[in-house]
Amino acid sequence: MRKITIEDLEYISLGSTILGTGGGGDPYIGKLLAKNAIKNYGEVTLIKAAELNDNALVVPIAAFGAPMILVEKLFSGNEFYSAFEIMESYLGRKIDAIMPAEAGGLNGVIPFAVAAKKNIPIVDADGMGRAFPRLEMVTFTLHGISVSPITQADEKGNKNVYHTINNVWGETLVGATTIQMGGSCAIGCYPMSGNQVKKAAVHGIISYAQSLGEAILNAKKHQKNPINELIEKANAIKLFSGKISNITIKTEGRWNKGICEIMGLEEDSGSKMELDFQNEFLMAKKNGCSVAITPDLIVLIDAENAHPITAEAIQYGTRVIVLGMKADKQWRTPEGIKLGGPEKFGYSEEFVPIEILNA
Amino acid sequence: MFYKIGVDVGGTNTDAVLINNENHIIAKTKQTTSLDVSSGIEKAIRKVLQQAKVPTEAIKYIMLGTTHCTNALVERKNLNRIGAIRIGLPASKAIPTMSDFPEDLKKLLQKHCYMVHGGYEYDGRAISDLNEVEVKECLRKMKGEIESLAITGIFSKINPDQELQVASWAKEILGDTVKISCSYQIGGLGLLERENACILNSSLQGVASRMVKAFKDTVDHLGLSSQLFIGQNDGTLMSLEQVQNFPVLTISSGPTNSIRGAGALSKIENGIVIDVGGTTSDGGVLVNFFPRESTLAAQIGGVFTNFRMPDVVSVGIGGGTIVRFNNETCTLGPDSVGYRLKEKSIAFGGNMLTLTDFFLAEGKLDIDDSFKKNIIKEKIREIIAIPYSQALKQVKTNIQLEIEKMVDKLKTEAKDIPVIACGGGAFLLPKEIAGASKVLFPMYMEVANALGACIAQISSEEEIIINTMKDDENEEMEKLLKNATIILLKNGAKAKSIKILTKVSIPLAYLPSAVLLKVKLCGDLAQ
Repeated sequence: MRKITIEDLEYISLGSTILGTGGGGDPYIGKLLAKNAIKNYGEVTLIKAAELNDNALVVPIAAFGAPMILVEKLFSGNEFYSAFEIMESYLGRKIDAIMPAEAGGLNGVIPFAVAAKKNIPIVDADGMGRAFPRLEMVTFTLHGISVSPITQADEKGNKNVYHTINNVWGETLVGATTIQMGGSCAIGCYPMSGNQVKKAAVHGIISYAQSLGEAILNAKKHQKNPINELIEKANAIKLFSGKISNITIKTEGRWNKGICEIMGLEEDSGSKMELDFQNEFLMAKKNGCSVAITPDLIVLIDAENAHPITAEAIQYGTRVIVLGMKADKQWRTPEGIKLGGPEKFGYSEEFVPIEILNA
Repeated sequence: MFYKIGVDVGGTNTDAVLINNENHIIAKTKQTTSLDVSSGIEKAIRKVLQQAKVPTEAIKYIMLGTTHCTNALVERKNLNRIGAIRIGLPASKAIPTMSDFPEDLKKLLQKHCYMVHGGYEYDGRAISDLNEVEVKECLRKMKGEIESLAITGIFSKINPDQELQVASWAKEILGDTVKISCSYQIGGLGLLERENACILNSSLQGVASRMVKAFKDTVDHLGLSSQLFIGQNDGTLMSLEQVQNFPVLTISSGPTNSIRGAGALSKIENGIVIDVGGTTSDGGVLVNFFPRESTLAAQIGGVFTNFRMPDVVSVGIGGGTIVRFNNETCTLGPDSVGYRLKEKSIAFGGNMLTLTDFFLAEGKLDIDDSFKKNIIKEKIREIIAIPYSQALKQVKTNIQLEIEKMVDKLKTEAKDIPVIACGGGAFLLPKEIAGASKVLFPMYMEVANALGACIAQISSEEEIIINTMKDDENEEMEKLLKNATIILLKNGAKAKSIKILTKVSIPLAYLPSAVLLKVKLCGDLAQ
């Protein structure tokens, strides 16, 4: 158990951007929201899952919607509190702790705002250990935990509760109404017992995000190279170093799909890398051969300052380093690969862990 | 035959060029920027008029590029007392106005910030209706306490009606003297960044009015009756009236002007431009005679905005850069003596060793009042512990390495591309650079920025989100192009010269059938 300060949030939000693997929505807005909440309501307590009672009620709270909407129609704050309150009244009991559903990107920091206002702890765990584009793509699904009841609220005060036949339908129905709500809303989902959290979540992910942020931002203070610090802290594999030479983006259905080409420099001079993304980076190919495949994490960082680059901010000419990080072990089981692996995104390649691809 | 004068006011120098209607340079000058700015402008214009010996009535246009507004923001000086209204409750409440402003600027500007009900969804439906009583109550609180007002509504880019309604109530209550900025005219999508830009704009209106008046007075004083324009950040021009309404758009016009000026001087359409000043070398990329824009959010005076600024990489190499030798290794800058070259550097009797000293000693340039070559060499020898030739070699190697690193950073493809030198310190640049197919030192390169101001065009930019279930994409795009064209013509563009710079449609992720359409046009000044 420890207190999270406004300074900690800076580190966590940078770490969340790394875990966002190019997607997940930029945590900038989420960070401002959480900072204001902590200023108004006080610091937040972060607890380990092990500190939960087995029968405690834990609910992930998340922002849901289109990234473009989130930067124009900013949150009122109340939509999150509403999603929380409807869940409590629907289940007829108090929520004991909240947690992020997705530690990568915006949703890695949003829960801090709710925890500050409601004065309850956040569990140091999530359902992804990264970012994914769909509600059912969480480790909770792998453990047979139902997304329902889902509570949904918008800034205007509209509210909804869903019972869906499975977790995929959760995404489908909430996605449809979100558009009518103006493209963004807040949800409460996967209500769980403490015992379930202990079994099904990716543990220690907030502290991990914070440690990644600290590795980068504190490197300068200790006169160390932020990139090396990050690689060491993340136990990452350096996949490529080069310069962005081309970007193509198109939107298919609900997703931004794109390819980012990188021309090799230094030890990779003469080589070429292609990063495929659908919001998140999903596949990295060096000279045509896969070197990292989803659900393993592919992280694009700026070679100058080790700050992560999101897919929509990729810029011609930036010197970059591509890192590969192992996904949580739950994603590397046959069921995990089926839910978050290459086939789910329409690739014919099979998942091979990065440490084997780069052995 | 008619003529144009371009003036670029920088921190150190005020440059001017006089060109004919075929964009040929007839006269040029470099003057020290004066403390009151306008006397520097007057001197520079007077100088080119004398040199060119053309009748003053043939000077049809005068274009000014200036860092006036940038400096006011950076120094937090002479900013207006402002009010800000955000239209969007209940949305956006959690992240109030100026949430991420630097504390000192926030203190200066935040006294009258209000959030009221209203705003639109991305598809044009209202989030809530405006409440006249609520808005007018806010306005009454500001009455008599503010000089300008910034109004920002959620998705006002889709529908500006609510912003306009609030503006008209503001006029009714605050009177005509308070200047009003509506965000839909200032920035793109992204509420915080657009609101920030709108607030900065309001805070700069006093500074801009005084600058415009000084510019007008200066030109009147010179007996000229030319039409006056001021350059904005995308390399295009604004009328003086527009500048008073949208001063924030003049910010960062400097790099754009030198990149475009260098392109025009060298007649190179695509390449890298390196502008060497007193303190830094700024590299930018020329794409079809326009600067490549940065995709990152631009920070102005510590505030995030969504302006597209030229993508510029800077290194601390300029004419005034201080050279230091520690044992036998040489380091360049990053500090510089800046505009105090003539009092601080060795070649003028000072005690600081600068890059200019080495190049004067080598006879690569001439500056009035400097010591003779041999004396400068002698003075350098007195300071350093190693032989002069070795020191010179190290200085040149360091410049070479830094510049090559910068060129490499700017390049997007492996193939070699031309590099164009410009600026007062261009003599520092090596004749050969790895990664460059050639290095050009065009004639008049020292006043490329003033030429850039002179050849700037008129532009207009429009964006809209459409619903492809309801609207026909081609029809909407045509409408958008037509609107942009009408604005261009209104601002003085020649119909025949109008060109489309950008025309894109971007489907929005997670929002089926929503498409963002964006166009940008430019054209030459009508004659």
